[in-house]
Amino acid sequence: MSGSDTGTITQGVTVQRTGEQGAFGGELLTVNFGPHHPSTHGVLRLIVDLDGEQVKRLKPVIGYLHTGIEKQAEALRWQQVVVVTDRHDYLSPPINNLAYALAVEKLLGVDVPPRANALRVIMCELTRIASHLVWLGTSGIELGASTMLMYCFRERDTILDMNEEISGFRMHTSFIRPGGVMADATPRFLEMLDTFCNKMPGYVDEYEALLTMNPIFRSRTIGIGRLSAEDAKVLGATGPMLRGSGVNWDLRKNMPYSGYDSYDFEVATSDMCDCYGRYLVRMKEMRQSVRILRQALERLPDGPVNIDDRKVLPPPREELETSMEAVIHHFKLFTEGYSVPAGDAYAAVESGRGENGCYVVSDGTHKPRRVKFRAASFVNLQPLERMALNHMVADMVAIIGTADTVLGDCDR
Amino acid sequence: MIADSLIVERGVSAGDAWITVASDSAHDALAALKDEGYRLLVFLTCVDHLADSSRPTWPGRYEVVYQLRNMDTLEQLRVRSFIDGDPPHIDSVSDLFPPADWDERETYDMFGVIFNGHPDLTRILMPDDWVGHPLRRDYPVGGEAVEFSEEHETWHTAPEKA
Repeated sequence: MSGSDTGTITQGVTVQRTGEQGAFGGELLTVNFGPHHPSTHGVLRLIVDLDGEQVKRLKPVIGYLHTGIEKQAEALRWQQVVVVTDRHDYLSPPINNLAYALAVEKLLGVDVPPRANALRVIMCELTRIASHLVWLGTSGIELGASTMLMYCFRERDTILDMNEEISGFRMHTSFIRPGGVMADATPRFLEMLDTFCNKMPGYVDEYEALLTMNPIFRSRTIGIGRLSAEDAKVLGATGPMLRGSGVNWDLRKNMPYSGYDSYDFEVATSDMCDCYGRYLVRMKEMRQSVRILRQALERLPDGPVNIDDRKVLPPPREELETSMEAVIHHFKLFTEGYSVPAGDAYAAVESGRGENGCYVVSDGTHKPRRVKFRAASFVNLQPLERMALNHMVADMVAIIGTADTVLGDCDR
Repeated sequence: MIADSLIVERGVSAGDAWITVASDSAHDALAALKDEGYRLLVFLTCVDHLADSSRPTWPGRYEVVYQLRNMDTLEQLRVRSFIDGDPPHIDSVSDLFPPADWDERETYDMFGVIFNGHPDLTRILMPDDWVGHPLRRDYPVGGEAVEFSEEHETWHTAPEKA
């Protein structure tokens, strides 16, 4: 199939004959899958050539959730872009914020205080768990374990409550910003985090009791969607897709940022190279994230959560009443914004889906010249054909599910 | 390091190493770098330097950027290549790096850069019948018609040809 052929499968027609002979004596059929199929995790469309029920060719068609985020970012001031970074991978906003913040901080040449780094790590790990929980719940439903969603969303709601406590927002927190974080953690947030760290390992045991040895779940995932380590590397897969194929690669370990090198945790890998392997990796990652959260909570350093630079971050409210200079800085920041030295920088972070990076180009003005998001979902969708080949059409649900793409991230 | 004859300029920006190569030797340079161990193409994109005053002159309006990584030594390298023309052309690297396939389609879609030798250079994010390339700097924000709005009939600010 070439790109122009996709137009011939119009919305009204969902099945087309190809005229090619299949191995079972029948004719290959082209079937349109999505974009509004309940198991496509957003609006992903697949055009599949089927021989009987076997997938012979597959072409993902994306762009249905394209929102022009990169174009919008060019029209916003540097500090306003944080808000749009929340919205591309809508299941892990703080991780996207962090990628953008790190890239801008690289250009500005600033380092954030230790407490800000610790809070960043806490928010990122909470988000990673929340994102894996959404994946686990929806994948469970798709593979027949419909109670999974109830359990997973119960814990995810706790995380959203914590988001609300620390930032005022449940989902799009915009918590991590160039120069630090939005606010310090409240005592209630730290209490909630402590309770969460105590309870979460038990909950993960609960999920595993439901799925890990479940014969239906195992037969739907073991040996399905195989992706060898070499293929995964060549096709540029990152995150659990790569680690599920046995490659020990995690940006938090290999290219640490925000002080991840000071935390003691293991990189989850699995040699199964199939859907089940990716499931195991994500389950283990949730446990490791709790481990990081516990360490971060125990040695949360004191001190400021923002850099002390009035050219980048506004002065505290109290200062405005006594200092004329503070008023000027405040006025300048909120009318014109700050400018970033000309140049370009790339910062990559490990999200729940893989490497989410941000490439920013500055022309020295108060708005970015270019903001490019390196989306893990966009790259991780490309091995889909390799994984789905010669599998039954029903297995595609498991394969798309364990690839864990967020189409908002993919289409941006 | 690859042959110096291929490198036009080199430097470090905010801690990231980069080199500039001529657009007609970009494919050769990337092939050589891949052999050296930079086996992962992290991303490929384009930057439009229309009316960019941060440098007195630019070698070309469009800067194609390749971010490479050596996963064994953890070295990263950014390769830039400047191109001009309407539409601008550069050789495809999707034969070297499979992930470049979609990245090049996206860059074509958003900037109108033609990648010579790409197997299927079609739009990927915008609809197939879209006119213009949205991430070019002369394509206005809010340039598309807003459907279902009261001003729907009158608010068509999209350029005929961007």
